[in-house]
Amino acid sequence: MPPARGGAEAVEDRLFRALAVLRAVMLLNAVGMALYGADDFQRPVLAAVCVAGMVLWTAVATAAYAVPRHRRAWLLVADLAVAEALLVLTPWAKGEGFSATVPGFWIAASLLAWAVHWRWIGGLVAAALLAATDVAIRQELTQSIYGNVLLILVGGPVVGYMCESLQRMATERDAAERAAATAAERARLARAVHDGVLQVLALVQRRGRELGGDAAELGRLAGEQEAALRRLIRAQDATSAERASGTVDLVRELAALERRGNVTFSGPAGPVPLPAPVATELVAAVGACLDNVERHVGPGAPAWVFLEALADRVEVSVRDEGPGIPEGRLAAAEADGRLGVSESVRGRLADLGGTAELSTGSFGTEWVLTVPLEGTG
Amino acid sequence: MVEGAAPTAAPVRVMVVDDHPMWRDAVERDLAAAGFDVVAVAADGQQALARFPAARPQVVVLDLQIPAPNGVEVTAEVLRQDPSARVLILSASGEQSDVLEAVKAGATGYLVKSASREELLDAVRRVARGDTVFTPGLAGLVLGEFRRMAEGGAGPGEPPGQQLTERETEVLKMVAKGWSYKQIAERLVLSHRTVQNHVQNTLRKLQLHNRVELTRYAIEQGLDEDD
Repeated sequence: MPPARGGAEAVEDRLFRALAVLRAVMLLNAVGMALYGADDFQRPVLAAVCVAGMVLWTAVATAAYAVPRHRRAWLLVADLAVAEALLVLTPWAKGEGFSATVPGFWIAASLLAWAVHWRWIGGLVAAALLAATDVAIRQELTQSIYGNVLLILVGGPVVGYMCESLQRMATERDAAERAAATAAERARLARAVHDGVLQVLALVQRRGRELGGDAAELGRLAGEQEAALRRLIRAQDATSAERASGTVDLVRELAALERRGNVTFSGPAGPVPLPAPVATELVAAVGACLDNVERHVGPGAPAWVFLEALADRVEVSVRDEGPGIPEGRLAAAEADGRLGVSESVRGRLADLGGTAELSTGSFGTEWVLTVPLEGTG
Repeated sequence: MVEGAAPTAAPVRVMVVDDHPMWRDAVERDLAAAGFDVVAVAADGQQALARFPAARPQVVVLDLQIPAPNGVEVTAEVLRQDPSARVLILSASGEQSDVLEAVKAGATGYLVKSASREELLDAVRRVARGDTVFTPGLAGLVLGEFRRMAEGGAGPGEPPGQQLTERETEVLKMVAKGWSYKQIAERLVLSHRTVQNHVQNTLRKLQLHNRVELTRYAIEQGLDEDD
């Protein structure tokens, strides 16, 4: 494990700071209660010593807990021991049959210190010790005392458990932030490297073509790698945002079709996010159109894919400059009971609630696939 | 320096800006061999802006990914100094948003670096003539930008002249779908010049919109400061 203590330590610091406030408030409460019931004390001097001890220990503990390296076992044990001692001295100070102990709720501070530092086990152990002492010094177990004891027994472990959870979350957040920062830095470095590689690949491609022969083959290979790298860069840019929303960037998916070699893609500069299943279906339909170009116009025949994102729909055009589809061929295919490519494309688009329109002639063949966007209008 | 000057007019004065020496040399050599007058080269934005006023090139062949100021800023500054100059973007990585920004800043041509030497020379010639050099990819970007602007809703006082006419949209769409200007002219029964004008108009409107946006932004910023 890498040293991931930063966040966890910060959580403990904050909790101990909050605990210092709580301890002071509890002290004021205990001192106030002591003054209010001063007449009930059997041994006022002992009571005064107890209160003075609480004031003194509150100051010492607050100062000690503020420093992380002082949060050792001796401090926590001493903290609990002071609370226990005050509980044990109560029957002497107040006499038998007292109702509230001298420290009162002040003992919760030591309990919570154990819970914060030693998590739920610390909270449970401290709670059990305090509860046992509290019960042992009483002559009878009233309902309210039982309530307090139960509260301590439940509260200690719960606070400890929550502290542990908070620290774990802080540690995880730290790790996530570090990972994000590393990834951003890596992306920044990669961008510079990628740009250089793209420059070289483009140059090899260009010079290779001019030199001809074996060099032309090198140039062709460089061109393929250039396209692949550009696709990779595009893919890296968008994926993290998409993973969160369950969408796919149609621009990137269609641009990836350029790897076929004969395809030119054009579209808007920004991403066009579509729900993943819709985008997959649409890209598959475009792929089917492009397969058809290969089959009927010829392998390597140029094709153009154009994406337009409008307010209420997306339109994808797939165009070739082939001889066009002879009249009647589609109808003949249908008559033969063959489900032609055109029917499969139309079917896919119909499933998406969209349309597929075909225009063909001497100028070539163009499919326009339209998919309505949901949640607009 | 000038070899094989163009037969009729004086050779076109070109400046090449690219941070890769390999590329700079290759482009410079090709241009010089074809009779262009390469009046300056620069390896980064600062050099480009420092050398531009004295060299007075008619065409700047500009790589977008150069050390600061970047290609978009260089485009804007160069055209501010000399509105008659032309900028041809030659980009390797094809960062779509950068290309669009450069065109909005006033570049009138865009070519990927993997284009052949002939394509490059033809592009420089056409840009020098005042034509626009559009790839289908650039047409798609420009159309997408107009769609985006329309969706954002025209702000108050948006001149209607900044929207594309139906014909301009039609022509730009055809360019995006891979039609050549010649094919478009035949199909729409227009002259080649008219097609060229339609394409040029779309860029002009985009650049105009950009300037209006920048001015509006500046005014808003100024007003905010007064509050």
